[in-house]
Amino acid sequence: MTFLIQQTLIFAVPLMIVALAGVFAERSGIINLALEGIMIFGAFVGVYFIRTVQQSGGFMAAKEANNWLALQGFMLLAMLVAAVLGAVFSLLLSFASVNLKADQTIGGTALNLMAPALVLFLVRILANQNTLQMAEGDAASWFMLRKTTFGLARNAEVGFLFDTFLNRVYLATYICLVLFVVLSVLLYKTRFGLRLRACGENPQAADSLGINVYKMRYAGTTISGALAGMGGFVYALTTANCTANGDVAGYGFLALAVMIFGNWKPLNIAGAAVLFGLCKCIAAAYSSIDINGDGVFMLAELGISAHVYRMLPYIITLLVLAFTSKKSRAPKAEGIPYDKGSR
Amino acid sequence: MKEQWDRLLQKDGAKTVLASLVSILIGLGVGSIVVLLVGLGNPATLGASGAWEGIRLIFGGLFSTGRSAAGQLTWGFNPASIGNMLFRATPLILTGLSVSVAFKTGLFNIGAPGQYLMGTAATLVIALSIPAGSMPKFVIWLLAFLGGMLAGALWGCIPGLVKAFLNINEVLACIMTNWIAANLVTWLFDGSSFCNTVENTKTGYIYKTAYGKVMADGGWTYADGAGVQTAKLGLDKLFPGSQVNGGILIAILLAAGVYVLMTKTTLGYELKACGSNRHAARYAGINDKRNIVLSMAIAGSLSGAAAALYYLAGNTEFFWSTYQSLPAAGFNGIPVALLAANNPIGVIFTGCFMSMLNIIGLQMTNLTAYNEFITDVIISVIVYLSAFSLLIKLWLGGRKKHAAPASDGPAAGAAPETDTAAADAALEPVPAADTAAPTPAAGAAPTADAEPAAAPKGGEDA
Amino acid sequence: MQSENIIEMLHITKEFPGIVANDDITLQLRRGEIHALLGENGAGKSTLMSVLFGLYQPEKGEIRKNGERVQINNPNDATALGIGMVHQHFKLVDVFTVLDNIILGAETTRMGFLQKKEARAKVQALSERYGLRVDLDAKVEDITVGMQQRVEILKMLYRDNEILIFDEPTAVLTPQEIDELMATMKEFASEGKSILFISHKLNEIMAVADRVTVLRKGRYIGTVNTADTDKQALSNMMVGRPVQLEVSKTPAKPGGVVLSVKDFTVPRKGHKADAVRGVSLEVRAGEIVCIAGIDGNGQTEFIHGLTGLEKSSGGSVTLCGKDISHASIRQRGESLSHIPEDRHKHGLVLDFTLEQNMVLETYKEPRFAHYGFVDQGAVRAYAEKLIGQYDVRSGQGPLTVARSMSGGNQQKAIIAREVDRNKPLIVAVQPTRGLDVGAIEYIHSQLVAERDAGKAVLLVSLELDEVMSLSDRILVMYEGEIVGELMPQETTVQELGLYMAGARRSGAAAAKGGDGA
Repeated sequence: MTFLIQQTLIFAVPLMIVALAGVFAERSGIINLALEGIMIFGAFVGVYFIRTVQQSGGFMAAKEANNWLALQGFMLLAMLVAAVLGAVFSLLLSFASVNLKADQTIGGTALNLMAPALVLFLVRILANQNTLQMAEGDAASWFMLRKTTFGLARNAEVGFLFDTFLNRVYLATYICLVLFVVLSVLLYKTRFGLRLRACGENPQAADSLGINVYKMRYAGTTISGALAGMGGFVYALTTANCTANGDVAGYGFLALAVMIFGNWKPLNIAGAAVLFGLCKCIAAAYSSIDINGDGVFMLAELGISAHVYRMLPYIITLLVLAFTSKKSRAPKAEGIPYDKGSR
Repeated sequence: MKEQWDRLLQKDGAKTVLASLVSILIGLGVGSIVVLLVGLGNPATLGASGAWEGIRLIFGGLFSTGRSAAGQLTWGFNPASIGNMLFRATPLILTGLSVSVAFKTGLFNIGAPGQYLMGTAATLVIALSIPAGSMPKFVIWLLAFLGGMLAGALWGCIPGLVKAFLNINEVLACIMTNWIAANLVTWLFDGSSFCNTVENTKTGYIYKTAYGKVMADGGWTYADGAGVQTAKLGLDKLFPGSQVNGGILIAILLAAGVYVLMTKTTLGYELKACGSNRHAARYAGINDKRNIVLSMAIAGSLSGAAAALYYLAGNTEFFWSTYQSLPAAGFNGIPVALLAANNPIGVIFTGCFMSMLNIIGLQMTNLTAYNEFITDVIISVIVYLSAFSLLIKLWLGGRKKHAAPASDGPAAGAAPETDTAAADAALEPVPAADTAAPTPAAGAAPTADAEPAAAPKGGEDA
Repeated sequence: MQSENIIEMLHITKEFPGIVANDDITLQLRRGEIHALLGENGAGKSTLMSVLFGLYQPEKGEIRKNGERVQINNPNDATALGIGMVHQHFKLVDVFTVLDNIILGAETTRMGFLQKKEARAKVQALSERYGLRVDLDAKVEDITVGMQQRVEILKMLYRDNEILIFDEPTAVLTPQEIDELMATMKEFASEGKSILFISHKLNEIMAVADRVTVLRKGRYIGTVNTADTDKQALSNMMVGRPVQLEVSKTPAKPGGVVLSVKDFTVPRKGHKADAVRGVSLEVRAGEIVCIAGIDGNGQTEFIHGLTGLEKSSGGSVTLCGKDISHASIRQRGESLSHIPEDRHKHGLVLDFTLEQNMVLETYKEPRFAHYGFVDQGAVRAYAEKLIGQYDVRSGQGPLTVARSMSGGNQQKAIIAREVDRNKPLIVAVQPTRGLDVGAIEYIHSQLVAERDAGKAVLLVSLELDEVMSLSDRILVMYEGEIVGELMPQETTVQELGLYMAGARRSGAAAAKGGDGA
């Protein structure tokens, strides 16, 4: 059970935060199809940052001294760097969609092609192979919170809650959750949020009230880029053992589906992300899931091919979209370039 | 001379071609800059001279003939490269056609990779299941080809159906079907008898179609040369050392067929009407849902054909454990179509250009410390630019805009028309406005001033 | 010394690519007056107001407030100067509440967080003071058009504007609501606010305005006191030639029933309540039957249900003796032609050429297609014939891209196409919307000619003048039901208005309307 919850969270959280990234872009009126690409880019940037820091020495010293605060600090820094560069990368999309009034679908696709190409090009040159790894060790040994982190003995008896939520987990997961809440509040309770949402629904109205639609759309897409970049790194850290290989397995698109399923509303998105996270988790680890703790790996014993489990998230996405699309309501002005001249 | 040039620029087709050329140049330029930066950043392995070699290869890689004994790059006519370019262009032209047919119907077919995979699977299964000698090779070839097309068409129908009947964004549906296809194909070949066990140097590959299913020692096995291969039609003599075969001609024929379909037939009229304005098409009694599905089916069949022609070449191998990666030939149909502005004939040329980039990538990997991914960077830049190709076209024609606006006077009112509600911008143009149109020299502003009746047209009550 | 004029727009010129929307226009607004701006569709009224509101920058000319030159670069500047505007197409965010819409752009915040309490109190006070009744917590998409307009007015008052612009405010209102609006405007004026009232409706201008400035085709024609002029004179100034205000037609000679609709019901997307509820009506050959009503009362859905664009959920439609309740759009098209409400959405494929648009419904007929191939020669010849016959003007004839044509000629092309198909029933929905007088006269005469040729004409119109002058019989639609059947000779605009507002319904019609009452 503990394992199931932890794994689900690990899959759900990046999905959630990247889906929220989609919300910020779409609520401002820009379809951000580039989430996948920005994630790939963010993952690379974060991993590269960690790798560089590892080689610099201070990192090693922190590890040796078992200074977990410093280690978590490095990870936070990596998240931040991934977010910043994700935001910068997303400027390509904002520039094309806002200033050049380009087709946002094609613009986003371009970024989705560009990110893996650029990342693989650089990774190959940096690492002489197709995967960029940490310089030393693995993410689990460096960044995971454990009983020992809190000064407890390795075999100390802790309650279920502690075991589930504080042992063998990543701090990044919780930071994302906090960010998710903060940004949801931003979207609904602040002037900025109100204006951002107005731009995605009726930019003409916003403009007539003196709101700078271009600026708001830049803001929305940039926040989106930052979140997606960070989400990409968190994905790499928690599920790919802190490696970057120019691929996040369609996660960005799954996040878009989660966003649509969640009807562009944060609370629904959180729910949808957990559901998707669960099915991703089953797909990834079905053979080692022991649901009721009786030592029987039920899912593995069903004898269903691994391929089915791997397909599951995508099939479920398609089905979920099929059942919800009639009811879902996208921001009205999304995808339509805003032109001051037209009314 | 300058006048002729200007007149040429006024033609829409010319502007489109020019816009594509500009996109290509910028794309290659960005690629060069990346190469330069990376080169200067890695002085040990590359340095300025390495970067200079890289840049030369980006622009002229097709004519690279390797390195001389002294380690210098050598250049010249390279028939193998050109033949291989044509060979690799074959699937690109077809996936490009696939994307452009869907585009014409207002759909973004990013599902070409999945359709390509399904086409691959069907083609290989058919070609490798029919015992050699049970029917003429040509028939096996044809069945495998048609099977590939059919599989692609059926797979394309899925996003078409959910788009038409459930209004699900086809981009998302396509992406999901891509991954489902990747897993399905892996599943299908996992442990199947199609996996190449004859050549024990290879692991994870399916037999080439040149292998045929034969009976030996009371069991089925595969033998090289017993299978089917696309006829070379003498092209291999023309480009010795390359893989080129008759497939390129089939691709060109299909492109011509798509051109006729889209411009000359009632079906093409319907598809385009659905693409330009689905509401108006419905109003006119055109079955928009059927046409969306049909368009995706045609698109899918073209992607399937791409896969079929590529793998029926007989000397290409399919790595079956594909669930983690999607075939690039599918995605690269997008830039092929965009660069050609969705013109089926243009796709032939842009397909060749894209495959030339492929060759260049290989040369980069073989001859320098760079790798083939640089060409993907170039391609993505080109896609990015084509997102606002309209703007590039405007910019190309921009200098002429003030001199001859009369011809597109009311057209400029396009902006107000984005608001579909109510009264559009335009006034009734009084006769003077229309008769003034063909007068090339007269600017619009003077016309309007001299002829009060023709004055205002835009921006009102939109 | 304070200037008598609170706002002056002097010699304003605004050009768009290829056209001059405002050509040297001067407008002077006095403090506390109601000043009408009169002109046809396309005369440049909205452009001029957008300049004043900071949405456009003029190429030439200047704006003064209280005699001092001001620069208005965006709506914020306009708001700072006390200028507010009710736009013709409301600038409201559908999914926001009324309160959110009012405060948007002028929010009170504490540390970035919205503070809605004070705003609510202020809006409530304003709403009570002027009798502008609104539900602050309702979403805009759920309230009536009349209430949406009150929201727009409250938006201006919330910002303490003293110069109020009303852009065609009456188009969406019933005659009774119009009277209320006029009263509110007069109250504002009496408090010293200055009002600019944009309209092309002469009655309203004569009723409420102190002075009128007339524009025609982007040019300034003149400014007159309403007390010194009359409707005919204003109309002549507006159009530039004497205008016949009435449609000339002979009494109808109705023949056999062409269209018969019984208990027709059409669902509304995303709502439980049906858009069209149990409508029954008949249209005979040789008559023009008009469905009147305020926008959004089910007319659009009724026509979509009738022509097959939307699925009906009950009732039957009989056309020329055949039950077409479940027929496809194309099957229905065999007996009816449809001039659609939205010519850009339904009527034309804007990126197609004129000739391609001319065969939008007929491209598959044997005269244009053989063995699945389009006969381009035949299409060209046909398009040229229609272009000549109906005087459709365009830059490159049949090869003109529809998008580049003027609205009037686009509409003419649609009418040519639909009328030439020569079907027993013509369904025309707001066929003159947004057009100038010349085009309107032409379209009216075409419809009358078709009626006289024995066609049945079903017209949907929001313009009461058009309803009264063109129809032989009027059906009023309110909340998806036919609530009254009136004869234009026997009724008045006021009576029509009562039906349109749902305040009155005739017995027979109500009975037909089923359970709605």
